[in-house]
Amino acid sequence: MASASQLAASLKPSASPEMVKRAELSEIDASTKLPALFFFGSSILWLLVGTVFALLASFKMHMPHFLGDYEWLTFGRVRTAHLNAVIYGWSINASFGVAFWLMARLSRAELRHSGLLLIAAAFWNIGVTLGIYGILAGDSTSIEWLEFPPYATPLLFFAYALVGAWAIITFRFGRSKHIYVSQWYVLAALFWFPWIYSVAQIMLIFSPARGTVQSLVNWWFAHNVLGLWFTPIALGAVYYFLPKVLGKPIHSYYLSVLGFWSLAIFYNWAGVHHLIGGPVPVWVQTAGITASFMMVIPVIVTAINHHLTMIGSFSALKFSPTLRFTVFGAVAYTFTSLQGSSMSIRSWSEVTHFTHYTIGHSHAGMYAFFTMVMFGSIYYIMPRIMLKEWPSAKLISVHFWACAIGVSFYVLVLSIGGVKQGMEMNTLPVGADGKVGGPIAFLEIVKNTIPWLKMRSYSGILITIGHLAFAINFVWMLLKPGSVGASAPTLFRNAPDLEVTR
Amino acid sequence: MNRAPLIFLGIFFAMAFSWTGIILTNQISYGKLTPYVNLDDGKAYPQSLPGDAARGKLVYQDLGCISCHSQQVRQPGFGTDIERGWGERGSVARDYIREKRVFLGTMRTGPDLRNGGARYAGQGGREWHIKHFYESTLTSAGSIMPPHRFLYETRAIVGEPSPKAVQSLLPAQYQPAPGFEIVLKQRGEDLISYMLALKDPELYPEEAARVYVPKAEPAAKEEAAK
Amino acid sequence: MSTNPDPNSPQSKGSLEQAGASDESIQRVHAILIREKEEPQEGFTPMPLFLLGFISAMIFLGSVYFVHYRGDFDPLVYDTRYDADSAKAAASAPKELSPEQIVAQGRVHYNTCASCHMPNGQGVAGAFPPLAGSEWVTGSEEGLIRILLHGLAGPIMVKGNPYNGNMPAFGPGGGYNWNDKKIAHVLTYIRQEWGNTGAPITVEKVTEIRKAESARSKPWGDAELQPFEKL
Repeated sequence: MASASQLAASLKPSASPEMVKRAELSEIDASTKLPALFFFGSSILWLLVGTVFALLASFKMHMPHFLGDYEWLTFGRVRTAHLNAVIYGWSINASFGVAFWLMARLSRAELRHSGLLLIAAAFWNIGVTLGIYGILAGDSTSIEWLEFPPYATPLLFFAYALVGAWAIITFRFGRSKHIYVSQWYVLAALFWFPWIYSVAQIMLIFSPARGTVQSLVNWWFAHNVLGLWFTPIALGAVYYFLPKVLGKPIHSYYLSVLGFWSLAIFYNWAGVHHLIGGPVPVWVQTAGITASFMMVIPVIVTAINHHLTMIGSFSALKFSPTLRFTVFGAVAYTFTSLQGSSMSIRSWSEVTHFTHYTIGHSHAGMYAFFTMVMFGSIYYIMPRIMLKEWPSAKLISVHFWACAIGVSFYVLVLSIGGVKQGMEMNTLPVGADGKVGGPIAFLEIVKNTIPWLKMRSYSGILITIGHLAFAINFVWMLLKPGSVGASAPTLFRNAPDLEVTR
Repeated sequence: MNRAPLIFLGIFFAMAFSWTGIILTNQISYGKLTPYVNLDDGKAYPQSLPGDAARGKLVYQDLGCISCHSQQVRQPGFGTDIERGWGERGSVARDYIREKRVFLGTMRTGPDLRNGGARYAGQGGREWHIKHFYESTLTSAGSIMPPHRFLYETRAIVGEPSPKAVQSLLPAQYQPAPGFEIVLKQRGEDLISYMLALKDPELYPEEAARVYVPKAEPAAKEEAAK
Repeated sequence: MSTNPDPNSPQSKGSLEQAGASDESIQRVHAILIREKEEPQEGFTPMPLFLLGFISAMIFLGSVYFVHYRGDFDPLVYDTRYDADSAKAAASAPKELSPEQIVAQGRVHYNTCASCHMPNGQGVAGAFPPLAGSEWVTGSEEGLIRILLHGLAGPIMVKGNPYNGNMPAFGPGGGYNWNDKKIAHVLTYIRQEWGNTGAPITVEKVTEIRKAESARSKPWGDAELQPFEKL
């Protein structure tokens, strides 16, 4: 690969510093190629695996006899396998790829000895494979978000140590003087994750804490994986790709600072909202509810920052896949977070806790927000490391519409079905004579949820189609030969006068 | 680059704040939760699970039952857990102090199981579970709980039919071929023992002194003062 | 879909310029990196003022909520409505349960019975006898207590209808293990509910009968209970 100085020299002699910087960026991209490819490739593989488990679990809910004779495919194991495949397989692999590509670019430092990151990727994926196998075989710990058996987790630790160290080294050797907002988010996430994961492993598995302190640790951990790993990585991506694709600066540095620190302080405490009404002291429940309520601050601040950056350029959404996926994700972030804050209010939690509503919410967060942002990021990064364009704009379009409509429908049906379920569970009907009757029979309520569960399965089929389009496009891109000469970005439609890049 | 240490410190303290507040303080205050000895029967509550029920809990864990069932009764006035007969009182932290792993759960696709052993008990309870695990609609019309027939085995009758055979509880369409009987595997026996052992005792005195008591009416206060 | 390069567009300019270079990769690199926009920058628009007001309001509301629902920071408090003073007053009050409280407790215990006898006490025709208006409930307490303690099996007549089932034992050894207080309270409840008018059942009476029948382990049958029904 030609070096930066050669490239700069090969341009016009009066090449601008901007051009030099871009030549440098191409070097950096090249240094991240192999690990990024491995992380993205494995993430997409796990996305497909997780999607299969998702379909199985969803269909089994309203067709319990479907493949019901196989112990290794019983609902409790399949659902758990789905969760772990999409979190540790798809989401974290994609996070790694996007995180250190962002780190390398923003620090303007080449990834050194990037080949060693391939070992990290291999270990991570072996760990996840072993973990999923263990869950299906019956070794699940049944600790939510931490179900991998203890023989798989050391591999994950080792892989993480390598990735974490590499990102920090890259940052340390960076040429950039200014620490851009995306870097705060990514660095923070890289620091927070091993801490919460270690505490959870120790206090839940290796030296279990007393009684429901386990529950407090469990939900402190699980909610913080969402809020202090996935959210920062995705926000870091949004803060990079939004201004990058538009060629505009982020609206306000001050809002970025406020958004970051208020997230750091409040998100930590919000995890207890999973235990409202549970056997933990009332004061800690109240603390979690208050923190969840205060989360509205960083969410609104970030939403304003993003919106005011986008304003005037919404037409770019017609062309750019990256922008479309990223903006969809950013809007979903605002929606999901406000929904989450509302769910912590005790009277609303009384209704929605334990129902399908919470599943709709979790998919609004992990899919409509996080996954869609990751899709957008991968659409941007891949051409830069492969030096080829995405083969088919049609497939990108199918991917976007199938997943956007699919997940929106998913969240809608489970929200309606879940609220209905919760209302029926928790209100005592008042008879014609004014006397308060007994609660509605449980099996009656189960029967009423079935149509909504069926609709969820249909939305799952739509989402699967989107994933297949994505996977096909990805593999096609890997296999197709690089084209000589000018290349144009694969956009949704021609962008003649708008200088819109991927 | 000078900002980096400051950012690091901020990130560190943000996490330390919640770790201390949520986990450390409760770890310390839970240290004071000891089992309560009931003077009437001399037993310490909560009780540990007996051996086969403890094994059954591991079966519960490996089958992922927590995906659909919770094990926590909410306080009176919050939800209808008590009106549904899922418990006679809300669950408290002391109920779980003997548990090596706590399965509070977050989904009620199926009912709460915290006091399942108080709802289905004795021989009748055992038979209910045998039917329910084989085919849930036998006991619960419209149930979406998947069949757990892998907890049973159909085997040839050798000599005398086993006293542990369960097919007499199952309707005609589930009867095995002549000369065969259906028995529970050890995993199934253990799981049912666990189901029957799930029972919370009466509210401990320290917690009972802290339940919600509506404020006394002024008239009643005067009455009491007389 | 690939646009035909516009000869005036930046990427074409770049690649035309590089026609002399032999390295194809340089050409491709140029195309992508040239068309890219600048690396992201931060703008420095000051924070809108209304945000300050909004955030202050949030902090205020959050603090009010937290203080109101803190449950005195007592690790043994699980109910948000907990009020230390009322609880203390109630604790120092006499421990005797009022008749209303006994019935209320009985209603909670009745939830276990409701799965068969139904919340409205009507039972299930042909399977589980009704409790509402049942002569077994409002009649002799001797028989009723014995049924709860040891269970009931075999054919019986209730309100003129035949039933033939298996009621489990709620006394010791039956798996439910209800104590005398629970049995007395639930029986008191059913004797005054759904239009039934029967006298409350005392805990002492239950204890007396349990001791008298301590040798018993089998469920009762209709014939065995008849002598007690006449008492």
